Amino acid sequence: MKRYAYYLSCINEAMTKEVDRSLELWQHDLGLEFVRMHESVCCGGSNLDYVSPKHFALVNARNIAYAEKLGLDLVTSCNTCLLTIRSAKKRLDESPELRDEVNAILKKEGLEYKGTSEVRHLLWVLVEDVGLDEIRSKVKVPLENYSIAPFYGCHILRPSTVLGKDNPLEPSSLDQLIEALGGRTIDYDHKNKCCGFHTLLVAEEESLNVAAEALEEAIERKADFIVTPCPLCHTVLDGYQSKALKQASVTASIPVFHLSEMVGLALGYTPRQLGIKRHIVT
Amino acid sequence: MGEHKEEMRDVTFRVLRFNPQVDNKPYFDDYTIPVEKGITVLRALNYIKEQVDPTVSFRAFCQAGICGSCGMRINGISKLACTTQVWDELEKCKVPDVIKVEPLRNMPHIKDLIVDMDPMVDKMKKYSNWVESTMPESKMGEKEFLISEEEFKEYDKSTDCILCASCMSECSILRANKEYVAPAILLKSHRMNVDSRDGIHDKRMAELVKDHGVWDCTHCYRCQETCVKSIPIMDAIHGIREEAIAERGVRDTSGARHAEAFMEDIAKKGKLVEATLPVRTNGLGWTLKNLLPMAFKMVMKRRTPPPPPLVKASKGIRKFREEFNEMTSRVKREQKDHKK
Repeated sequence: MKRYAYYLSCINEAMTKEVDRSLELWQHDLGLEFVRMHESVCCGGSNLDYVSPKHFALVNARNIAYAEKLGLDLVTSCNTCLLTIRSAKKRLDESPELRDEVNAILKKEGLEYKGTSEVRHLLWVLVEDVGLDEIRSKVKVPLENYSIAPFYGCHILRPSTVLGKDNPLEPSSLDQLIEALGGRTIDYDHKNKCCGFHTLLVAEEESLNVAAEALEEAIERKADFIVTPCPLCHTVLDGYQSKALKQASVTASIPVFHLSEMVGLALGYTPRQLGIKRHIVT
Repeated sequence: MGEHKEEMRDVTFRVLRFNPQVDNKPYFDDYTIPVEKGITVLRALNYIKEQVDPTVSFRAFCQAGICGSCGMRINGISKLACTTQVWDELEKCKVPDVIKVEPLRNMPHIKDLIVDMDPMVDKMKKYSNWVESTMPESKMGEKEFLISEEEFKEYDKSTDCILCASCMSECSILRANKEYVAPAILLKSHRMNVDSRDGIHDKRMAELVKDHGVWDCTHCYRCQETCVKSIPIMDAIHGIREEAIAERGVRDTSGARHAEAFMEDIAKKGKLVEATLPVRTNGLGWTLKNLLPMAFKMVMKRRTPPPPPLVKASKGIRKFREEFNEMTSRVKREQKDHKK
């Protein structure tokens, strides 16, 4: 069994509970065990770093230190948590002064940030640690009848200086996973573009324009559904879908699945078990 | 295959054509020409113009990645034609040996590969993208401005910008709304803001925090990823936001209030309280008007975030709060020392 320290993302704890629920259903099928870190605190969601860079470093040093205490890599199912915690790690690893400063405070609860745990996304664990061949061999219900539009989301690709797994201009890991699960992947321009989530509450009209463009292309290319490794992208593409498409005067709709749900479907779990009925577009 | 065959190859350039005086809409012309390894896309375009079709229009000048004139989309990505090798692009073609060449996006299209750069210049004016000296005109020449190495480092990378507009062409929000300030302008604004010789910082900042300004960036990092000079543009955008909050507080814009809410929630519970985020960002009126119809659907699907009292604090929250507060006092101490 491969073990990981699983970081609890705020959005998956509150709005997109189906992400972690599906993951828990199938983790052992693929020889994985995600140890839930109840001590996780909000990473700052690509906001805290400019409100207070020091708090940003402290909060995420603590998150990573808990994973280090378990001797495991930290894994998250949210793109923005991934980028945010990795950015903090980069700053901590590059600055001994910053490390000393946060460690002086973390000492209070017997913690120390050392830099020994990697910060990774669930998608990377599946492709790199489990491997596509192994996944292929575990598929019970191949997704052979589906044309699937992969939507990577920004913060698993860019900036490549912090992320650097997939080629941000031509990503392939999610496409490969779709194929390993027996599905047909759709090549479309918007697969590595933005969903608009981070300005939803600040510039809603712009955000919905951004989302609508991606949804429209996936619909035009006749995808049966979109799959995304990010619950924030899911929130826009599913939750705000009707609003976005209405703004763009489009009448069609398209379901959007989480990565962990798509894997669950191919491993033989039902949409009900996976929480797919909780989506706004079904 | 012999080795010399690899050095020479027929390559098709699929070039977007559009002449508004005669064409209803843009179309593509294919030009297949023999290309030698080591040739740039710009040289190939020059060859096409000189040998095949003199009507193909594009802008270019220095041929060395300095002037920023030949920004265009090559195989879908905005970059400079003069620093892009044909051979590198061959690996990225969707149709084998066919390189697609299109004008930059998000700016008015003039002809073929040429776009109107005026909107960029207009925005540079709107956001005062220059230094207005703190020294009165009469004193000029009497004393020099000394710039510390530390300060220079703050804008060293930003000064590499050649205004090629590739970042603007890739920007998600500019595509959604042409009024948006745009990445190149934010980069320049920050470069001027942190310059100690500059006297109009407050005026510039007041403009930057308005609608269509710095808070409308959606952090997609496409500007930074495609910057032809590898400038960390997002650092500048974050820099402006950090300054805006430090100097103006968080009350005057929804973007700042939104960002501050994260800080509040983390301090209290270690978790984001999503249910009240819209109200705290935009007020009750906006929230009711914009989110009520959706909230109904979400309740039906049991997707609503829990109300604040039900957001469970992270494990070990008490110790965490102490640590968080200790950092707060440290930061305050530092700011005090800094002011002295």
